[in-house]
Amino acid sequence: MRIDRTHKNWTVASLLIFGASMLLYGIYRVPPSGAPMGGTALGLMFGTVGFAFMIFAALLGARKRVPVWRVGRAQTWMRGHLWLGLLSLPLLVFHSGFRYGHGLTAVLMTLLIFVVASGVFGAGLQHYMPRVMTREVTMETIYEEIEHVRAQLREEAEELVAQATAEKATAAAAGVAGSTVASFSVREDEAIPLRNFFEQELKPFLESPGARGHALADQAQSRSAFAQLRTLVPPALHTTLEDLESICEEERQLTLQTRLHLWLHGWLLLHIPLSLALILLGAVHAVMALRY
Amino acid sequence: MPRTRTTKKLAQRIDLNYFKRQHPLRHWRFLLSVACPALSLVWLAWYGIRSDRRVYSAGRLSSAHAVLTKQCAACHVTQAGFFSEKVADQKCQSCHNGSIHHATQVFTPACASCHTDHRGSIRLAATNDSSCTQCHANLTARSSSVNFVRNIDSFEGDHPEFAALRMGRGDPGTIQLNHFRHLQPNLLGPNGRVQLVCTDCHRPAADANNAWPYGDPQNQIGGAKDVSKPDALISASSRAYMAPATYAHACAACHSLQFDKRIADAAPHDTPEVIHPFIVTKLQAYIATHPADLRVPRDPSRDLPERSIPADYRLLTPAQWVAERTADAEQLLWRKTCKQCHALVFAEGVALPKIAPSNITTRYMPHAKFDHSQHGLVACESCHAAALTSQQSSDLLLPGIATCRSCHHSGAETAESRCFECHTYHDPAERKPSHSDLSVSELVSKTQ
Repeated sequence: MRIDRTHKNWTVASLLIFGASMLLYGIYRVPPSGAPMGGTALGLMFGTVGFAFMIFAALLGARKRVPVWRVGRAQTWMRGHLWLGLLSLPLLVFHSGFRYGHGLTAVLMTLLIFVVASGVFGAGLQHYMPRVMTREVTMETIYEEIEHVRAQLREEAEELVAQATAEKATAAAAGVAGSTVASFSVREDEAIPLRNFFEQELKPFLESPGARGHALADQAQSRSAFAQLRTLVPPALHTTLEDLESICEEERQLTLQTRLHLWLHGWLLLHIPLSLALILLGAVHAVMALRY
Repeated sequence: MPRTRTTKKLAQRIDLNYFKRQHPLRHWRFLLSVACPALSLVWLAWYGIRSDRRVYSAGRLSSAHAVLTKQCAACHVTQAGFFSEKVADQKCQSCHNGSIHHATQVFTPACASCHTDHRGSIRLAATNDSSCTQCHANLTARSSSVNFVRNIDSFEGDHPEFAALRMGRGDPGTIQLNHFRHLQPNLLGPNGRVQLVCTDCHRPAADANNAWPYGDPQNQIGGAKDVSKPDALISASSRAYMAPATYAHACAACHSLQFDKRIADAAPHDTPEVIHPFIVTKLQAYIATHPADLRVPRDPSRDLPERSIPADYRLLTPAQWVAERTADAEQLLWRKTCKQCHALVFAEGVALPKIAPSNITTRYMPHAKFDHSQHGLVACESCHAAALTSQQSSDLLLPGIATCRSCHHSGAETAESRCFECHTYHDPAERKPSHSDLSVSELVSKTQ
């Protein structure tokens, strides 16, 4: 989600809440009292409001799972998740009286810091990465489809090379997904460089595109490799080479998309589980603090 | 014809059932989302199985209670049928006396509401101001009258001027002392010219055994026996309060109690009832060894006009001589030497005068405590500036609240300004003595 002018109201409201909380805390703390904060009326208010914000932020997950609920727009929920979730940190720090705590409270503070920090990091990524992806990955596909598309690309490349290197091949591209091969006629030995290139370079790259050090993983080296290959094969195979180069490019973009996607969503592996643990332990803390 | 990527071709290569397959990223997210809360519960359960409730502790116990770290039940009481396990006052009072603050107080707060533990190595007596101001901000009492200022929010804010200064009653002491004159340069001392400083006369009791520059080690009689409101806080080992200045320590070297030029010994600094027999004894001893002095020559300066001139010599009996010399000596002492500092009361028909009580005040603020030893970095006259100009004993030389506030105010690097710094809630005299029969090893085994 981009953080733009549509967040203005949330930003202002959050700053007002933060300012009011800071003022209340300042009035309570000056002169310094040295007293614990959490159990006082003001401390309990900070704790309750902070925990309520955390619960609201956590409900975004439920809201996403049941999109047909008529409980406000998804974007509104996301903005609330961002700003109220962020506000929960200062409110709960005020609740603690700037003390890290002990035992359960120390764990809660650690979780809170990690959750909010990962959330801020994720919000930053969600703000910038989609634009980077749009610019850099023009052949983007559905993330979950990437492996499926890769299999198709390998199949397509094999078919192209098979057609091109078949003895006295004259084929039409009918049946070859994604490409149309012009009729051509080459000698078998003229196609050997193409076959070798495919076996030694292209096929390993397509089978494990993420492997380090592969020449075709780099756009410039790939271009150079294909340019060199063009000098070794007859012009009749140049169209095939262009198609293979296009497949390489798409493969590289899928690799880049995978990497960007991991950045874009990988932080959730930390954010969501820790958030759930935080909510659970926060509830236990609330009950036990009232008990003791 | 080169390879093309039309929308139709792209759509055709999409597996429409892709959403039915669990993607690794989502899969791991789900697994971790289950595992993390589960681990949290396991962690809490682990403490629960071991009946260790320290995990719910808000912080370490204070140093004084550190030995009870693993014994939650020593303070937290499970009330049957109730969820709460809060600290009970009875548990506190099993070790501490916790006397009430004032007989007419309208309510007694719970111990833990002021002394909140689980805040690390802190002093539990260092309570929050709100513990005091919950009453003193708008003071009421069970009886109709309140003898204290009703509205006090903080030391910096509306704490009134100290009562002794506010009332304008002056110092109740009866000893005549001119601070201004005693602090002048070039005073005539026992061995030449001197410049007195505050510590020549004023010291805490714990330092009384050090050498006094103007004291008389021989004349130890005459301590402050009539200090007004003697205080338990001013013990012989205390450095908190200044001990009353005594004649023996501070005055004797300069202000001798010599009563007769023939007698080398000075009178003791004591009551007339002690001084009188001392003088008589000394004079009797003298005349016994100097019988020639019974022949008393006439003193022309004492001849009265229009009276017959007495004989040139008078021959006295020893008793007569002692009586006359005693009268002279006591005239000197009662009318001049003693009177220089003390107020003497001569009653009708009583030979010896009464010395008025000195009424030296050792604590001008009986509802607050002060420690001079903690203020040693400050020059005496910096706070007691009035001493430099005071000429009357009735001048109250106590510094005002503004002097205290110049250091004791809120801020990061300033002296403490909370109520407990000067005031105590519980009477320290009623403190319960701590005694236990446990050995160190028994105590250690109990706490582990």
